[in-house]
Amino acid sequence: MGDAVVGVVANPLSGRDIRRLVTQASVFPTAEKASMIQRMLTAFQAVGVDRVLLSTDLGGISAAVLRAIGQRRSQGIRLPEVEFLDGQPIRQTARDTVDAVRRMVDAGARVVVCLGGDGTARVAATAIGDAAMLPLSTGTNNVFPVVREATIAGLAAGLVATGAVPAESATTRAKLLEARAGGRAETALVDVAVSTERHVGARAVWDPATLTQVFCAFAEPDAIGLSSILGQLAPVGRGEPRGVLARIAAGAPRRVLAPIAPGLVVPVGVTQIEQMVPGTAYPIEARAGVIAVDGERELTFGPRDQPTVRLRTDGPRCVDVPAVMAVSARLGLLVPDPAGTEPAAVQPPTV
Amino acid sequence: MTDTLERKTLTREQLLDAYRTMRAIREFEERVHREFATGEIPGFVHLYAGEEASAAGVCLTLDERDTIASTHRGHGHCIAKGVHVGEMMAEIYGRKTGSCHGKGGSMHIADLSKGMLGANGIVGGGPPLICGTALAAKIKGTGGVSVAFFGDGGSNQGTTLESMNLACVWNLPAIFIAENNGYAESTASAWSVASDNIADRAAGFGMPGVIVDGFDFFAVYEAASEAIAQARRGGGPTLIEMKFTRYFGHFEGDQQTYRADEVEHARSELDCLERFAARVTETGELSQADLDAIDADIATVIDAAVDEAKAAPLPTEADLLTDVYVRY
Repeated sequence: MGDAVVGVVANPLSGRDIRRLVTQASVFPTAEKASMIQRMLTAFQAVGVDRVLLSTDLGGISAAVLRAIGQRRSQGIRLPEVEFLDGQPIRQTARDTVDAVRRMVDAGARVVVCLGGDGTARVAATAIGDAAMLPLSTGTNNVFPVVREATIAGLAAGLVATGAVPAESATTRAKLLEARAGGRAETALVDVAVSTERHVGARAVWDPATLTQVFCAFAEPDAIGLSSILGQLAPVGRGEPRGVLARIAAGAPRRVLAPIAPGLVVPVGVTQIEQMVPGTAYPIEARAGVIAVDGERELTFGPRDQPTVRLRTDGPRCVDVPAVMAVSARLGLLVPDPAGTEPAAVQPPTV
Repeated sequence: MTDTLERKTLTREQLLDAYRTMRAIREFEERVHREFATGEIPGFVHLYAGEEASAAGVCLTLDERDTIASTHRGHGHCIAKGVHVGEMMAEIYGRKTGSCHGKGGSMHIADLSKGMLGANGIVGGGPPLICGTALAAKIKGTGGVSVAFFGDGGSNQGTTLESMNLACVWNLPAIFIAENNGYAESTASAWSVASDNIADRAAGFGMPGVIVDGFDFFAVYEAASEAIAQARRGGGPTLIEMKFTRYFGHFEGDQQTYRADEVEHARSELDCLERFAARVTETGELSQADLDAIDADIATVIDAAVDEAKAAPLPTEADLLTDVYVRY
């Protein structure tokens, strides 16, 4: 058995929250998540991945993949060795994602593909360690994960996992925002927002009137979600060694029309914009409220908690799909050898 | 999108009301659990303990214009919609003083004066009823909303799917609350619900479908209040799926050999009452003394309900055919 191992974790609950009700956000069906994994398996096989570790869930994704693998193998279609990470209780919480990623990394996965939205990527990033992650969009708010055909994502993840494309030439290190309140901490990959709401509740943030501050690791002009507030006013790229923060006030004269959630473009008043320097702890000014990480309320705080947000540059390593495929093109990794040896990608299935 | 900005922070009175409802349901169900074991309660009972946040979070936004239809696990919905707890207990004991004069029992508690269309022994029996009341509200222009609670088993019934279709076609002020506690009797919903998430079915009807942590009162309240406000404005139906666990068996006496440690985990880590109490005392919205006072009051109310039910007369032969037929 070779050691080219890839993990795939799929969040069965991504793309299901209250934003479908309040902002007409998209629905990402379970069947499509399962189909994406199957398309990735085809790609993994094509580039010589030896073993694939798949997360298990009660949402029907792993069950659908298991059924499909059996059917495809019975038709003689070759697939990599697939191992389902079962044997642990499934709690249907974010902990399932953390546990799965940790087990994949411990089992030698060099790349973990994460199917979900910003929330899933954020949680997976806490357990990824030195392995590379490839966040693939199947969620509501997708700033961090890429919206990309799973087959290509599978080829890129596979080429990095096999070592055909060196990880250092095709991965980038993301930034992180670390929010602390009292003894508790949460990390975000894109933005931290402070809301005057009192409870975590339905998690999503869709009412700009409740916002008081927003901190962004990066803010792109074409972003969806809370980082879009600064994406138009003070853009910061993913690769820049700085972040940006702003105070939000409903009545402020300076306003930006921001797509703060899918289907929701609202005026947001911004009073003060500042650069964020890595390592500095910036205070949260509200006395009490909720801290939202990547658009989801997670941490409540009160006057005694002295909450802060810090920008870090040691976030997860992420596979840069276009960069991997460009290296592949340069090295001819998917091009048949003139001597007649076919690359793995074009070998016919053994029937 | 200003319509989504109308959600107000819950007042102290609303928070007290929500806690009181959840505590009343829990206390009622735990007492019925103990009393049923003595053999004094006739028929079957299906207990709602563990699921309180769903009934309380949905019904907090409803008023006297609104109607709900319930399930065989209906005590929580009845209490949350304002049915008299003493009359409910008497009904469960089969007494003449019960909500239905002792002839319905646990699975048929109804009180139309409270907009409670009835618990329902028929799985999937509630959704068609609310299409009727929602259509009436729409035609009369009352602004009323109708809510059907049903389980994961009920979600697979043709009646439920037909009702969702009709509600969408007629753009009715109808809310479908799928209470997915993981099992239809002893059959796991992970096995028996083909789309896995019940909420996913909403897309097929063209209505919003969302999943909510059913143990979290605030999550339930936010989703339900948005859906109800939307329905009142003429925005049509919504499907909300609550995911949680019931604390007791399908019915009292169920050996529950089909499940492992999930109840223990839910009781210790996820309990809706514990979480609610921790949250509101942490924010200072309510004090522990506020909650203790409600606990003490509810204990008295439930004690009295049981004592009065046991002392109340049974229906007589002369009552056999009364209240059974309605003359139109």
